[in-house]
Amino acid sequence: MINIFNLTLGATAKVVEFPTNSQFIERLKEFGLIPGTVFTLVRRAPLGGPIEIKFGESRLALRSDTNDLIYVEPVLH
Amino acid sequence: MRNEDVIPTFTVALVGTPNSGKSTLFNTLTGLHQKIANYPGVTIEPSIGSFYYNSIRFNLIDLPGTYSLAAKSIDEEYTTKFIKGELSPQQPKPDCIVLVIDGTKLEKGLFLYTYLQEYNVPIIIAITMIDSIKAAGSVFDDVTLERLLSTPVVGVVGSKGLGIDTLKEQLVSNVGSTESTNPKLSNVENIEERVAWSNNVMQQVIANNHPNVTSERIDKIVLHPKLGLILFTFILAIFFQSIFSWAEPVMNLIEELVALLQGSIDSIVQNGVLHDFISNGIISGVGSVVIFLPQIIILTLLVSILEDSGYLARAAFLVDRIMGIFGLQGRSFIPLLGSFACAIPGIMSARIIPSYKDRLITILIAPLMTCSARLPVYTLLIAAFIPDISFYGFISLQVVVLAMLYTIGLLSGLIIALVLKKTKFRSDITPFLLEFPPYRFPTLKNISISIWIRTKDFLTTAGTIILSMSVMLWVLTEFPKTEAPIGTNPETAQMVQLENSFAGMIGKTIQPVFAPIGFDWKITISVLGSFAARETFISFMGQIYSTKDDTEHQPLRQVLKTSISLPTALSILIFYVFALQCMSTIAIIKRETQSWKWSAFAFAYTFVLAYVGSFCTYHLAIWFCS
Repeated sequence: MINIFNLTLGATAKVVEFPTNSQFIERLKEFGLIPGTVFTLVRRAPLGGPIEIKFGESRLALRSDTNDLIYVEPVLH
Repeated sequence: MRNEDVIPTFTVALVGTPNSGKSTLFNTLTGLHQKIANYPGVTIEPSIGSFYYNSIRFNLIDLPGTYSLAAKSIDEEYTTKFIKGELSPQQPKPDCIVLVIDGTKLEKGLFLYTYLQEYNVPIIIAITMIDSIKAAGSVFDDVTLERLLSTPVVGVVGSKGLGIDTLKEQLVSNVGSTESTNPKLSNVENIEERVAWSNNVMQQVIANNHPNVTSERIDKIVLHPKLGLILFTFILAIFFQSIFSWAEPVMNLIEELVALLQGSIDSIVQNGVLHDFISNGIISGVGSVVIFLPQIIILTLLVSILEDSGYLARAAFLVDRIMGIFGLQGRSFIPLLGSFACAIPGIMSARIIPSYKDRLITILIAPLMTCSARLPVYTLLIAAFIPDISFYGFISLQVVVLAMLYTIGLLSGLIIALVLKKTKFRSDITPFLLEFPPYRFPTLKNISISIWIRTKDFLTTAGTIILSMSVMLWVLTEFPKTEAPIGTNPETAQMVQLENSFAGMIGKTIQPVFAPIGFDWKITISVLGSFAARETFISFMGQIYSTKDDTEHQPLRQVLKTSISLPTALSILIFYVFALQCMSTIAIIKRETQSWKWSAFAFAYTFVLAYVGSFCTYHLAIWFCS
């Protein structure tokens, strides 16, 4: 189980848990990113900016200050 | 006959996720019959509009785009209150909700539906992007959706007007029904259950689902770490260039028209005070409002294109890191960039920032960006006081000083943003979250409607404040009347008038306040007088200093060189970098934040910066010169 920001580019992973609960986490779940959701890390913005993840038809950008909020498990193909 | 004024009227709430095509549908239904809604004390201002169908009047409200109704953000709270009828005593519960769902993101819309169905208001679902679903080869089973939800479903293509009549028919048959036609969902309460229910329904409704890959292909270039940044810089350059170069000819034309009108008044009205009131009070007052229109229209046009096409979200993604250092978010760069042309359109464009607190911070620092009205003041003083020398043959000292003034403004703005963010303005939903909408062609109709609405709103709200302020300023500078001796040249007469006017009296009274930063009463009056617009500082200085030797007309820059000292000149420059010397900006801050409090705050903090900055500059310069 690793932090979402430690995933390599292009990796596919599954959301395992959100260790804390906050409005932000609620919002993520509303976007459909609930534990068990499989997503792909599509890209990172330049200069250590946000990351983009994709699951289903949804594409979300997350800022790196969301560190330690989302734990994931890489899915091997 | 009373029959005519008792047209049955119903209120319909348009609800949907951001980018669901809700506003396009709203524009199709109401056309130009819309305005920005404005409830006292409420910061969100959705559009309201109306249309008639079957002799029924429908009042439509375009509620802010929202993903849920869990009331985490002020947008959601607003929508929830509106649906419950608790927003305002004048605004009862809506008679019907039209839930707009982007068919390619059905599950998001269904998720929102799980909240809406709790409120006992009839719901009609309008599915947009029906054409793109079919084009992708997917099958959308609206009959099943209707059956699963027991809710009318209508497919619409807002931009082409398809399905609009069917939607209106549905409205007619649903608004009348007293009891809710939507049976409540059971066992759908927490977020996980709502997501699961939405995904389940979606899978039953959409078959052969082909994801739209066009946007992802475009993003390989647009969001590329290097190419993307190059493209971004390029778009930014065009953006910046067009605000300046497209607006300028029109602004010059407006100025000429104002002068022409004033000229024609000369021959019609002979009475002195009445003439002055019409010419310098009313005409130049209206002129000072209208002068902003070219930039407002151009910036609204550009921002609408960026937003409707889907590029704005990408640009925000690319620059988020840089803006994040200063506690701002990616979207703040548009209003700040626009403010380099003029803070009025810049502050108006801050509406693209979804979070209210981030928007407020952006609005408050926008006046520190060096607007084009400061440029004449800068160039005049620099030409007069900074020696025209170059380092290494090509770096001109004058250009270096000018660049420094721009940089000081920008940096102090960003630092203030950081301070505000760390103290009073912790954001509503702290970490940054952004959804990429698919790329779409902006439609001419949507763009022209948003330009029309913004322009109308500016003229009726901020415009009236600016007009009354400029009339007030005219009274302060023109009264009490002083009769100059016969034979005095007009410029001297104007100067004598200014000196003895209320503004002059105020200037002389408060001059001791400005003495520590090196301003004599003449500069103080010019600074006060230029509150209408910064560039008028030059004409005031011109009037004041032409008194000494009006036998030979030296250029103002020569006169200034002999009349004021270098430390004072530098002090004025720094004062103009910071001070919110612009009543129009104060008016627009009031309009956009719905409160004079923020106008006062912006004025006060920039004044403190200006005073302290000028004080340090003045005394450092004296120390260096001696």
